Amino acid sequence: MEIPYIVNPRKDTGLTNSKIAIWLFLASEVMLFGGLFSAYIFLRVYADYPWPERALPVLPGLINTFILIASSVTVVMAWASLKLRELTKFRIYMSITVLCAGLFMVLKGMEYNAKFHHQAVRLNDYAVVEGHLHPHEGLKGTEITIEAETVSIDLFKFSKSYYADFSAEWDGKLQLEKALVVDGEEIFPAGQAISVDMLSQAKELFINNRANNAEILEDKLRQSWKFAKEETPGENNRNAERKKLQNDKYKELVDAIPAGDLKTAVGSLTFKATSPIALHIDPKKIYKSASDKEGDSGSIVLNDGTTLAGTMGNSDIVLDVDAISFRHTVMQAEKMGIDPEAAIANSWLLKDEGIKTLWDNHLIVVEKLEQHLLEEYKTKTDANGNEVAKRVPTEADRYRMGWKEIVALEELQKAGKDLHDLTHQEIQDAYPSMTAGFTGADHKSGKYNFPKLTIPREQVLFESKFTPAWNNYYAIYFTMTGLHGLHVIGGAIVLAYYLFFGTGMYRKNPEWLANRVEVGGLFWHFVDLVWIFLFPIMYLM
Amino acid sequence: MAHSIEEVKKSQKKFLIVGAILFIGTVVTVAVAKIPALDIGVHGFDTADLILGLLIATIKASLVLMIFMHFTGEKFMVYFSMGIAVIFTICMVWLIGWSKADPIQFENEDVFRSGIVTES
Repeated sequence: MEIPYIVNPRKDTGLTNSKIAIWLFLASEVMLFGGLFSAYIFLRVYADYPWPERALPVLPGLINTFILIASSVTVVMAWASLKLRELTKFRIYMSITVLCAGLFMVLKGMEYNAKFHHQAVRLNDYAVVEGHLHPHEGLKGTEITIEAETVSIDLFKFSKSYYADFSAEWDGKLQLEKALVVDGEEIFPAGQAISVDMLSQAKELFINNRANNAEILEDKLRQSWKFAKEETPGENNRNAERKKLQNDKYKELVDAIPAGDLKTAVGSLTFKATSPIALHIDPKKIYKSASDKEGDSGSIVLNDGTTLAGTMGNSDIVLDVDAISFRHTVMQAEKMGIDPEAAIANSWLLKDEGIKTLWDNHLIVVEKLEQHLLEEYKTKTDANGNEVAKRVPTEADRYRMGWKEIVALEELQKAGKDLHDLTHQEIQDAYPSMTAGFTGADHKSGKYNFPKLTIPREQVLFESKFTPAWNNYYAIYFTMTGLHGLHVIGGAIVLAYYLFFGTGMYRKNPEWLANRVEVGGLFWHFVDLVWIFLFPIMYLM
Repeated sequence: MAHSIEEVKKSQKKFLIVGAILFIGTVVTVAVAKIPALDIGVHGFDTADLILGLLIATIKASLVLMIFMHFTGEKFMVYFSMGIAVIFTICMVWLIGWSKADPIQFENEDVFRSGIVTES
């Protein structure tokens, strides 16, 4: 069947059907991205934490902008080439477009990868430390360690996949604490070693017995309500007399159940370790933890209901620190009416000698910036008639140290330079260049030294990689750029199809392929158009 | 829109010029944000940076729409569908802002809170 009006326009609309279709699709896309942009505005304006302004590395975003602009030019040139019946030129332009799409995604992948490997830790006093983790062998570096002495398995939630995470550590070392006896019959003796088969069998028994009991009790409940309704005609179920009658009747019926009809339903099994087992738990798997402090006796409840009890082990987080921020501490202090400077001074973070020195140096850097801004931009008279500096350091300048500042200060200190003797510009000159650390702090090249910090677990309020879990900023960043990336992939597939399989269309009717490329190109331009707004909003504002 | 051979030939140069303007616009946006000497308004990000950044982005987006997407010479049907989409988007943004500016107020907040406690 031939699809009508794909080359020649319809008389009533003046457009080909494919063109109407793509514009309608783009109209829906305008609303989709419009909704996301409004979500971004909403999250930013009403954020209850300091918004990470200009937090992303600009260079990959800038190069990606150039790439998308270039591809927009080449896709429209590819279309023009077809209109001029220049098939070779069309192929060249379209190849560049598809190549640009690939490059864009490679850079996006590098940017995402850096985020997924960059650790952030929020301390109890809301100070934030960022850096590169120092994991123990085979671990991620953020696990919580417990020397488990007993393990209780919730049979209702028990799943083989969760069990498999720990089976290597505890198989052969855990024994049933008390015999599992159901209705007088010993199912498993005390001391039996833990196994998947044993737990599966116990779970099945528990589920079956519970179902049996539920069936009997539900029947009694129905009977009791029926009785109460008959006794109190005209009343509703909230009537106190009816409720009492139902309650009493239910108790009576339950008491009358013949012995043996209701089965014993054992919902959990407790195992004792032959010797304490060191377990390293991913915090994502933890539902709640009673204590974080090393040496404390504590317990951890996992998401599958398994309870581990024993002595808390060393769960310190060791970081190569590449950023420190007290912005959230200041915000919280102001909310509580506490002097922000005092809140910073009392922070646990500044109890570390190295970090304290770094922060003291940072304060000198801020002072130098303040002087520089005053000399450069002079003063103005404020509303109260006071002479004030026209430009002052931002809140981020004052309360946050990025990786380039940390590296520069370390280098200057190593060179034996006294910051007091240096100008703002001389300090700035020690910073790594704009191209250094393409997607963030450069830990790989070995060119830079970052201070090492050990954070005791009890000081940690929250920790995460720079993923949507960290805050709403990263949630909206990944949502919008991820969705945009999917559009890039989709568009590239369509354009690549025209490039590799369009010759047949061209030979049949060159205008057919030209119209198709125009429609594909419209989508591609829209992808570029979205990025034109995404780039400044996400990377520069 | 109809595209004659002559029109397309003339357009090619236009496409390259627009591409160059888009590059320049991007460089200006980044320079204003990253180079302190070019920073407008107060030091750091502020309303002036926001307005300038969005203004440049809007100009760039308009060029893409008008020149690359040939929006200026389109038919009524295209204007109609895009117009509706834009109106819906504006309403959506406004609704979200409005909902935040006019939050749900409970006459007796304590009762509401105690209700939550009882439920849990």
